Order: sequence, then C-alpha cells, then structure tokens
Amino acid sequence: MQVKPFFLLITIIVLMVSSCAAIRTAPFDQYSYQKAVEIKVEASQLMDKATTPYQEHTEAIEELLLDAQKMVAYEQNKPNNGISYEMWKLLADADKNLLAGFFKRWNEQGQFSPVFLGEAKPQVLEAMDILIHYEGKKDKESENSLMNLIRANQ
Amino acid sequence: MDFQELLKDLKKNLAEILGDQYSDFKKETKEDLEAFLETSKDKLERWTKLMANGEISLDEYEWLVKSQKDLLTLQGLQQVGVSKISLGHFKNKVIKTIVDVVKGLIF
Repeated sequence: MQVKPFFLLITIIVLMVSSCAAIRTAPFDQYSYQKAVEIKVEASQLMDKATTPYQEHTEAIEELLLDAQKMVAYEQNKPNNGISYEMWKLLADADKNLLAGFFKRWNEQGQFSPVFLGEAKPQVLEAMDILIHYEGKKDKESENSLMNLIRANQ
Repeated sequence: MDFQELLKDLKKNLAEILGDQYSDFKKETKEDLEAFLETSKDKLERWTKLMANGEISLDEYEWLVKSQKDLLTLQGLQQVGVSKISLGHFKNKVIKTIVDVVKGLIF
C-alpha cells in the first residue's frame, strides 16, 4: 500500500493545475504596472502642450507612441493576458479615440483649443487609469487566488 | 437648451432613423445603446452645450463621443473580460447617427 501517497500527490498536483487554469489571469507584473504609470505621466505632460503646434513635439510624441506599441507586444506574449493586451491595443490604436488617437488628431489638427483639450485629455487619462487599476488589481487577485488554492488543497 | 428633452428626442430619433436596422439589432446592442446614453449623460450634456455655444466643432464633438465609446469598451474589458465584451458590436455607425441627430436637434 505504498502506492497511496503517490496517488494522493498526483491528485493534489492535478487539482492545483486545474485551479490555476481556471483563474486564467496573468499574475501581477511590476514592469507592466510601472510602464503603464510612466506612459500615463508622460502622456499627461505631452497632452498639456496640445494647444501649441504638434510639430514642436514630434520627437517626444513618437517616442511615447513607440513605448505604447512596445507594451502591446510585451502584453501579447504573456499567457492568460488577453484583457491587458486588448486594453493596450485600444490605447495604442491611432484609429481609435484614446491615447494614440489623441495624438493623431493633434497631428491632423495642428493644435487644439484649450476647451477641446480640457475635454479630450481627461478621456485619455481616465482610460489610462482603468488600465493601471486593472494591472494593480492583479496583485490582489493573485494573492486571493493563491490563498484559495492553498485553502482548497489543505 | 433642455438636455433632458434633447436626450429623450435623441433616443426617439435614433429608434426612428435606425429603423429596420434598429429592429434587426441584437437585444444586447439596444441595451448597449441605452446604457451608453445613460452612462455618458453628463458628458454628452456638457459636450452638446459646448458645441451649441460654438466652443467645440462638430468634428471635435464626434471625436469626444467616440472616445467615450472606446472608454466604455475599456471599462467593459476590465469588468467582464474579452470573451464577453459587448460594445464590440456597437459600431461607429451608431455613433455617427448620434452625432447627426444631435446636430439636427441643435442647428
């Protein structure tokens, strides 16, 4: 009857693996969180300048948009990370009307009126906040999932 | 300008203008449209007043309304996940119709 502990171990491993699969959310990633905050702060500073000609800020804007594209690629290849990936895609898509869309419009329009900027900028920042909040929440979710896993297998 | 009246007219006109298309919409899309108008009420009111006062252009108004749709898509992703996101079928055509109806009601 030495086989019993072996089967018990296998059962526990199977339970743990299936529990992990059911969670299907990538764990908290410090880099993702930090980059999202950095891009938000940089975007906010750049957007403040949108009442001046776009051409004066081309280099900084291109750098920011490249950073956003890098995040799309980074998030794409993490397992169980569909939501973060879709969020970044939306933010980095110039044909949508959030982060990259703001800069596309600024380029097309040359410069914004203070009134339009006052309405458009909060839309982009609100979008960045949703992403940052989601990334930050993963930390708590990971902790809760781990605790549930431990409890379920005690 | 009474925005509550405008919102009521907007809902009525949307149903009329979208006509057959509207009746063909999935139930979820109709609910999305209602939810979009309700959730975005304060912003739509402010932007509509700014446009009516000539402080933002029609193009800028349309950009803001579209950004609101994208923002709600992002919120939806956070709340319900990729597979269940419903605003995906909430097409820009509907946004265009909203802008056209508001334009018609204001100007």
